[in-house]
Formats: sequence, C-alpha cells, structure tokens
Amino acid sequence: MAASRPNRLFRNLTAKIAAIPMILTALVVFVGGTLWTVVYSFTGSKMLPKLKFVGLDQYERLWDTRRWMVSIENLLIYGICMLVFSFVIGFILAALMDQKIRFESTFRTIILYPYALSFIVTGLVWQWVLNPEFGIQHILRSLGWESFTFDPLYNADIAIYGVLIAGLWQGTGLIMVLMLAGLRGIDQEIWKASRVDGIPAWKTYVFIVIPMMRPVFITTLVLVAAAIVKVYDLIVAQTGGGPGIATEMPAKYVYDYMFGGQNLGQGFAASTMMLLAVIIVVIPWAYMEFGSKNRG
Amino acid sequence: MARSVTQQRKAINTAVAWAVGLLIFFPILWTILTSFKTEAQAINDPPLFLFFDWTLENYAVVQERSDYMRFLWNSIIIAGGSTILGIIIAVPAAWSMAFVPSKRTKDILLWMLSTKMLPAVGVLYPIYLVFIRLGLLDTRIGLVVVLMLINLPIIIWMLYTYFKEIPGEILEAARMDGATLKEEILYVLTPMAVPGIASTLLLNIILAWNEAFWTLNLTAANAAPLTAFIASYSSPEGLFYAKLSAASTMAIAPILILGWFSQKQLVRGLTFGAVK
Repeated sequence: MAASRPNRLFRNLTAKIAAIPMILTALVVFVGGTLWTVVYSFTGSKMLPKLKFVGLDQYERLWDTRRWMVSIENLLIYGICMLVFSFVIGFILAALMDQKIRFESTFRTIILYPYALSFIVTGLVWQWVLNPEFGIQHILRSLGWESFTFDPLYNADIAIYGVLIAGLWQGTGLIMVLMLAGLRGIDQEIWKASRVDGIPAWKTYVFIVIPMMRPVFITTLVLVAAAIVKVYDLIVAQTGGGPGIATEMPAKYVYDYMFGGQNLGQGFAASTMMLLAVIIVVIPWAYMEFGSKNRG
Repeated sequence: MARSVTQQRKAINTAVAWAVGLLIFFPILWTILTSFKTEAQAINDPPLFLFFDWTLENYAVVQERSDYMRFLWNSIIIAGGSTILGIIIAVPAAWSMAFVPSKRTKDILLWMLSTKMLPAVGVLYPIYLVFIRLGLLDTRIGLVVVLMLINLPIIIWMLYTYFKEIPGEILEAARMDGATLKEEILYVLTPMAVPGIASTLLLNIILAWNEAFWTLNLTAANAAPLTAFIASYSSPEGLFYAKLSAASTMAIAPILILGWFSQKQLVRGLTFGAVK
C-alpha cells in the first residue's frame, strides 16, 4: 500500500468504527438477549420474569413433558427428511436445468415462487391442498379414483409428513438455484475430459462434480438447517400443532409457554435447549469450515 | 460443447422440467382460480377448472372485513424501511471488512452469521420487554428495527461478497486523487456495487416481507403487515375457501409480481450472496 503511515492508521481506525454499529447490534441484541433468556431459564418465572432461582427444576419438568418430547421427535423427522429430500430433489432439478432447457428463466421463476411466499401462505395453501374435502383427494376422487385416500393432516401418525411436503415445496426452489449456481461454476473442461475417458454422466456427477461443489453444499446446508430449527410459522398456519399435538415443534412450544401458558420459566428453559442444540451442531462445523480458511 | 445436447434430449428435458414446474405452480394457480369462484363452486364436485362464473365478490367481502390497503402499506413500510436501514448500517461495515481486513475479520463475519442461526425465540421475550418499556409494541418503527436486526447478518454477508469482487486498486486510485473516505464509499464504491446492492435490497425486502414470527408476535392492529392479514384468515372460517383464497391471492400478489419482474436480480442475489 502506498498510503502514508498515519493515513493507514486512520483508515484502520475508521474501519473499526464503521463496523461498530453492526457489532454492537449483533452483540447487544442477540448475545445479550440470549444470555438474558438463559439466566431466566433457571428461575420460577410465571407471568412476569422474576429472579427467583429454582435450579434445574424447569429443565426437569421440560424433559418430563410429553409435548416437548413429541416436538423434538417431530423436529428430527422434519429436519432429516427435509435435508435429504430437498437436497436430492434440488440437485436433480438443477442438473436437469444445467442441460439447457427452453424458457429456463421462466421455469426458474416458477420454481422459486414458493420460496418467495411466506411460510404463512405456504401453510394455508397446503392446508387446503391436503384437505380431503377440497384438495388433492377430492380432485382425484372426482376424476374417478374413488378409493384414493390422502389426508395426512387428519392422521396424527403421518401429519408431520404433510407439513414436510409443504416445507419441501417452499424450500426446494432455493436449493435448486444454489445448486445450479454451483453446477454452472464447474469448469466445462471436466465434462469434456470425462466424456473423452468414457465415464458415464452419473459417475461424473457423483465422483467428480459433487465433491467439487462442496462449498455450495455446505452453504446450502447451513441455510436449510437454520431454517429447519426455526420452523414455526409453517406449523402455526398449516396445522396449529394438530391434530392433537402431532405436529408440535420446539419453537412453538417455547412460544406457547411464554405467551399462552403464563409459564415463562418453562419457555425460557425450552428455548435454552434449542440454543444448546444449535450450538452443538453449528459451532464445531463453523470453525472447521471457516476457521481453517483463516490460516490457509 | 462437451455436452452437446441433442434436440430430442433437450425437448425431453424441457418437458420434464415443465411438468415439475406445473406441479409446483399448481397450488398457487388453484388458489388464484378458487378466489374467483363462488363458495358453492369452490367445493363443487367435480372440481371446476376454468369454466365457472368468474366473480370478484370474494375480494369485495375480504376488503370489507379487513382493510387490505392498510396491511399492504404496513408491509411496504416495514419491509422497505428495515432493508434500507440495514443497508445503511451494512455498507460501512462491509466496506471495512472487504477492504481493510484485520486478523479477526473472518471471525467477526462468522460470528455474525452464526447469530442468524440462533433460534429467534431465544431473544423474543427480552425484545418484547424492551418494546413494552419503550412503547414500541405494535408500531412500525419497532418492527423496522427488529427486522433490520434479524436480516443484518445476511445483508452484510451479501454486501461483503460483492465488495470483495471490486478491485481495491480502484478505491486506492480514488484515494490518491484526494478523495476523502466518505467520497470513496459514497461516490466510488457504491456506484460500482449497485448491482450487488440491488440484489441484496431485493432479497431482503422479500425476506422481511415474509417474516412472520416477529410480525405476528409484536403487532396487534396498528402495525400489522400482510402476514398478519393472512394469518387472521387461517382457522376460524375454515369452510369459506373462496374467501380464504381471495385473501391469500391478495397477500401474495405483490410478491408474485415483484418476483416476476426481478427474477434475474433475485437469483443473482440468492446465489452470489450465498455461493462465493
């Protein structure tokens, strides 16, 4: 750098100052707010937050609650299926589009439309689509398939998969676009080389292209995972947690206890558990992924 | 081209892609169509596709029941305001990280992004208390601030990746010519980064527009945006499908239109911001 020394010092200082508003907001709001919640999770707060500590009581109660266990189980089912299916479908669609299709940009817009809709609208629309008297079942039956039955939202055993369908519908477009960007970033020479060597296309994808797309996969994974843990509005709009408690999710548990159940401490404890889960998953990964780039 | 795709192959690909596209678009299409039917036609057996008596009656009823324009206006102010405020804060921060990196820049970026992973419920109550204390509950200002905070990490991340692509030499040349720091950012960097800023703006408007967790929990009547409008139709009148469809169509129309015209920037925003 040609700048004189004091000038550079000034620049560095300004750079620090320029970053302050952002650091401050992130620090105060997210870290401060989260810590506050963690501290109050050890209290017996009911309607109002009070610093009357009760040790781990809230946590014991939490893990004894069936609704919480159901929520965790649902989150696992939803999360794992969501990751697997959205990645597979998203990648296949992206590979298809990478082959050059007609009206590509229109197709891309349509696939992305669901992502541009809120979870609230997604939940509502799919509540109707999956409604046996109105949606898919009704349409197929009236087309002559009298015995067709597809009413996941009314069957507690599979209701969570009804939510999953809506989630996939909403989120897969984004994944496809991300994957497509990754595929387009692959050097065309690689395709040529594998063609010359007579390697079948699917093998090229699995053994060469996908490993090369690792950064894209990681980014996508983080985006999707973060959205999964937070799933709340989709449930509220689509099932309200029902039938019974069949589609409850942790975020909704927290919310219901904080605002509906007049049991703040319980809500804080549940929220702290969610935080813990995120930290356990995210932190080691984050340092592995970004930390190494610091040095390399 | 290595993968010289034959015409036939291309036709098949196109057909498959469009079948998928249609399948994906069907729920939206069905909702829009239903909104123009009468309640009786909406649940008609067999279902009516295009040949029914088109009516605007549902829209009139919905508008009468809840003032659509007020919700729409709130959505515009909240989504637009939070995004613009976010960009104002993010530009200097992203500039400093992209052009004056320190040893800890990567860590700060990572750390900030990880706040985006934190479950929002964890900070809901403290923010709720602060809102009560400051009288911000159910105000647009309050939501603008909260949504700005929620999306700030993404805005900074996206701007940072765009800024990184701009050669630092250009800024340096401007400095050599005696540009002050303010001029450097405002007149040199920002114009060059306009496409990136536009994509960031667009994506974050959509994210803020769709944000429901905070808008549902921190608003009641005054500041409620379209997410609240549509949520209010969710359960109690579960049998009036045509009216529900009309309400949904009204809620999604702005996004569908915006998305159609800005598809290119949107995809750019989504991929550039996320995929380096």
